[in-house]
Amino acid sequence: MQKINFDACPECDVLLNRSAPNFGENAHCPRCGYLLQRPRKQSIEKTLALSIAGLVLLIPANLMPLIGIKILGNTNDGTLWSGVVMLMNEKMWGVALLVFLSSILFPLVNIILSLLISAHLHFNKGNQYLAAWMRWLQHFEEWAMLEVYMLGIIVACVKLSSLADLKFGLGLFAYAALLIITVMLSSNLDRVLFWQHIRQAQKSFS
Amino acid sequence: MKRTASALAQGFIRCHDCGVLTKISNHFSHCPICGGRLHARIPYSLQRTTAFLLSGYALYIPANIFPIMSVTKLGRVEVHTIIGGIFSLIENDMVPIAMLVLVASILVPLLKLFGITLLLLCVHYRWQVNARFLTGMYRVIAFVGRWSMLDIFMISILVGLVDMGGVAQVITGPAATAFAAVVVLTIFAAKFFDPRLLWDYSR
Repeated sequence: MQKINFDACPECDVLLNRSAPNFGENAHCPRCGYLLQRPRKQSIEKTLALSIAGLVLLIPANLMPLIGIKILGNTNDGTLWSGVVMLMNEKMWGVALLVFLSSILFPLVNIILSLLISAHLHFNKGNQYLAAWMRWLQHFEEWAMLEVYMLGIIVACVKLSSLADLKFGLGLFAYAALLIITVMLSSNLDRVLFWQHIRQAQKSFS
Repeated sequence: MKRTASALAQGFIRCHDCGVLTKISNHFSHCPICGGRLHARIPYSLQRTTAFLLSGYALYIPANIFPIMSVTKLGRVEVHTIIGGIFSLIENDMVPIAMLVLVASILVPLLKLFGITLLLLCVHYRWQVNARFLTGMYRVIAFVGRWSMLDIFMISILVGLVDMGGVAQVITGPAATAFAAVVVLTIFAAKFFDPRLLWDYSR
């Protein structure tokens, strides 16, 4: 296959010369302003490190209580899962599924995919699934909504503050750390660079 | 201004997944690099977006008239709609949080529904509107969509926490499903809209 030395903007399809921005520079589409690439130093290594950290933090964030409440001597602890379980008990299947996917499953899947891809690229291992993993990661990324869930926790706490005594659990701190890790993960992952490396890895593999 | 050529007009297709350009030919229906399906434009973009958008409009009505949750405090039951929840926050002197919920669960869904409608009309009737402005609007719509989930997450947290029988209990109402569906449908509507169509007809 012949080499094509052009690029196209994903949002306005203007034909562009291939650009190679340096670290700290942003490449924008001259016609519509789309952010084409924002290179990061050691994007692969940082992704690897951050996804390991995220994987570790997922355990306390999922298992330990986020918030505890006390109303007239009755106490109750809430984890990430308790909302999903209660919604299932009330037979609100759709809402339960949506909350489960966007606050538990997709964050987990994204971190695992980032870990797999960056580990393969860092150790120069080829794998026939690399391109598929990267595609899945791009599709699933927007369905992980940890930051919106965090805002939901804050609003719920404000609503409850007049009704009950609140206690913040260790899970909440783990969750906040996980949120920071995932935001750093998505801002450090340079898609253009990752696809270049995946292409090279595939060439050496096949 | 000189009309700038799109990649499609020059005979190239950009792979939506990995970004590589391929010469248009009859041989490739999948990207030779990453194996993703090749489309110059999202297929049936307008039809699919319209379908999701109309379903979104339809479900927006039950989402707002039915109760989204009921709160039991010492045997007294209070039923909240989305707007009712905002008013009760204002009554309890929590105006900033009330504004936050107002933006996330009323303004953002409405902005998305009307905004995507405007985008569709512009493409369908080939109105000569500033394509750069509309692309910017599309990006805002695609970005803010997820924040409407705020109400759903808040209810899920309240339902999981406040579960003490007659003392205090929160139960979800039928509007929760409808509202969750509106959020997902409008995210899909924005996902299937192809902003490149805005540029194809603009001069």
